[in-house]
Amino acid sequence: MATVAVPQLSGYHRPAVLDWIMTVDHKRLGILYLYFTLFFFAVGGILALLVRTQLAVADNSFVGNDAYNQIFTMHASAMLFLFIIPVWAGFGNYLVPLQIGAADMAFPRINALSFWMLPPAGILMFAGFIVDGGAADGGWTAYSPLAQQTGVGMDMWIIAVIVLGMSSTIGAANFLVTMFRMRAPGMTMFRMPIFCWTMLVTALLQLLATPVLAAALVMLFIDRNYGGQFFDPNGGGNVVLWQNVFWFYSHPAVYIMILPGMGIVSEILPVFSRKPLFGYKAFVFATIGIGGLGFSVWAHHMFTTGSVLLPFFGFMTFMIGVPTGVKIFNWLGTLWGGSISFPTPMLFAIGFVSMFLIGGINGTYSAAVPVDFALHDTYFVVAHIHYVLFGGSVFAVFGGLYYWFPKIWGRQLNERLGKLHFVLMFVGFNVAFFPMHMLGLDGMPRRIAVYADSAGWEALNMLSTGGAFLIAVSMIPFLIAVVMAFMRPKDQPDDPWEANTLEWATTSPPPDYNFDSLPPVRSERPLFDARHSGEEQGH
Amino acid sequence: MLGMPLRRRLRLLVATVTAALLALLATGTASAIQPGGITDEARLMNDLFWIVTIAGLIVFGLVGAALVYAMIRYRRQNDELPPQFHGGGKIEAAMVGVPVLIVIGLFTISMIILVQIDDKAEDEALTIDVTGFQFSWQFAYNLNDLGTNTDPNAEGTIAVIGTPANDPILYMPVDEPVEFLLKSNDVIHSFYVKDFLYKLDLIPGRVNSFTVTARETGDFSAQCAELCGTNHALMRFIVRVVERDEFDAWVAAEAARQLGDGALVSASGTQGD
Repeated sequence: MATVAVPQLSGYHRPAVLDWIMTVDHKRLGILYLYFTLFFFAVGGILALLVRTQLAVADNSFVGNDAYNQIFTMHASAMLFLFIIPVWAGFGNYLVPLQIGAADMAFPRINALSFWMLPPAGILMFAGFIVDGGAADGGWTAYSPLAQQTGVGMDMWIIAVIVLGMSSTIGAANFLVTMFRMRAPGMTMFRMPIFCWTMLVTALLQLLATPVLAAALVMLFIDRNYGGQFFDPNGGGNVVLWQNVFWFYSHPAVYIMILPGMGIVSEILPVFSRKPLFGYKAFVFATIGIGGLGFSVWAHHMFTTGSVLLPFFGFMTFMIGVPTGVKIFNWLGTLWGGSISFPTPMLFAIGFVSMFLIGGINGTYSAAVPVDFALHDTYFVVAHIHYVLFGGSVFAVFGGLYYWFPKIWGRQLNERLGKLHFVLMFVGFNVAFFPMHMLGLDGMPRRIAVYADSAGWEALNMLSTGGAFLIAVSMIPFLIAVVMAFMRPKDQPDDPWEANTLEWATTSPPPDYNFDSLPPVRSERPLFDARHSGEEQGH
Repeated sequence: MLGMPLRRRLRLLVATVTAALLALLATGTASAIQPGGITDEARLMNDLFWIVTIAGLIVFGLVGAALVYAMIRYRRQNDELPPQFHGGGKIEAAMVGVPVLIVIGLFTISMIILVQIDDKAEDEALTIDVTGFQFSWQFAYNLNDLGTNTDPNAEGTIAVIGTPANDPILYMPVDEPVEFLLKSNDVIHSFYVKDFLYKLDLIPGRVNSFTVTARETGDFSAQCAELCGTNHALMRFIVRVVERDEFDAWVAAEAARQLGDGALVSASGTQGD
């Protein structure tokens, strides 16, 4: 390469810490997102262990009833609002500009603002534990009128969630503009990497649904503090209104929490099957379909309120199984006839497919309205949500971390430790959450701090608690692998996996502004095309 | 496992995953043995539960088997590039068609059963007023609304009121429709009797109702299913399904106790039987 002497600015070196705080580089912000969200994954995990310890035996008094309500509320709030939703913004920040061949996000400063709204919100939400009355304890669903009764921790929770919502709303606008306006030459919408597509639909959902939640939270805040009566029947308000507006956001939010995970899995499976994603367009339309249908199923959380149109919401809920089923076929078809290897990212991706399959099947029970009457608000639903959001989303997070670690940090995570991590987490996950199906069928309601010995739920609860601790243990090999990786030099080539998408066309880690040059984009797999140009391709 | 050659390690891993999936399938089947419930309505719901379960197990079995088969059959054996197949019209149409057929089938069956469950309300049903409060229950019986034994001239209401430490008992007769009216004055609660395979919320500002016909006598534990505050977990109660004469005797005794000796004779007239 010819070298040219570039005049250097001299005389000013910003300290490294300030450099990170003031950065508007999408890659650094992405890394900050990842650190922040993984921290709250750990916090939420510790809260989960407290929950499981309390429930391990009957009539336990490890934590009091009040503390228990705070702990499970904050477990869910941390996992949903401070981990899983922003972790996709982290992956998206790092990857979307690289995958579409752009130098940065469309609005780098707004991007920094999106991130820097998170830490104060997280601190505010968790500061509830040190104020009078404790942290929010009405569940992450904050059903009114219960949410009217609790202390100032609830107000802090409301403000924190509003701020987090603003962060993801402006972040969503940024992602959309970036993907619509800044794609590399040749990259039509239908050549865009599948992870970008899932981020695009996620961003649309965030843009349309999150303001509804913000409005609902403001109404709740007014009810609590300024004598509003939106949700108070004594003043002409309607209790069920809260559930309608809350779930109008929160059901699409479930897809906000899982779609980018599907995108990550759909990047990993083709690379390690050495085949293109089976049915790329079908996958894109299924993603859009899930996003669209996602706005018409919110009341399936409310079948037992006696105030929703059961046939309509039952039907729409079943229908959302169709695009979900299409995706399962996409993934199976990708593996079929491939040349499959099983490095750690692939294990997590296949783990995702198998666990998400169960999470899809046990979701149909709730679509069958009369069955939902029995299972609603029992541990069966807790099992379902964890098969989707842990067996699904969290497995995708780790799959993504192992897959892009060489790109982001220029180093490889140890394969043996990675496989150990996967096996422990896979087994621990199923031991923790599968018994919850049985507990739910046996009538154990969710969100109870204690259960009587006579209920007969102790053995399965003990098993589940054991699984939860096994999940915690599975993090040890992961952490060791990370420490070991950081002790080694950055030695990773541009494309260690023989991958397909543009982020692998630059160095690991990429330089400022990402690319010196781009390969031509003539399909959704520009790197594959570059590797095999001149060869006969059997389409 | 760590010292083995790569190929064997992979095989072991595939075997582990396969075993885990099969174990899941087996436990899934075994665990899904849900008691049929004690009401006519519960038995309908139980049938639907089994239909969904069987459909789910078939899907899980087929997809799981295909997944495991693909992982073993198509594992990488050399550097040759496999055929680069992108998908096709017919297969993709099937990808949509099969799920559509499954969900429309399940939806139709669940609506048929929903209509049957809703169809059970009868005018002469005995009515029990259920009020949930933080953190227990009140069950009230209007003496002139006791179903087949109703004496329209009876006056007064008897009530059972529980505390978090003392679970209230809800008495109801077997083999006749009983209507529940659900109310709350503080926060949302949910009336959940596991053996009814049913729950319905108690919502401030509205009255929900449902009707069931119990077919078995005995005591059945039940509790609030909607988070309602500190002692939500202690908001338990017992449903005691008894024969009609036992129920009448209980009503008479409670009426005498709560309303004075005169009330029970006009209440039902069954006292002297």
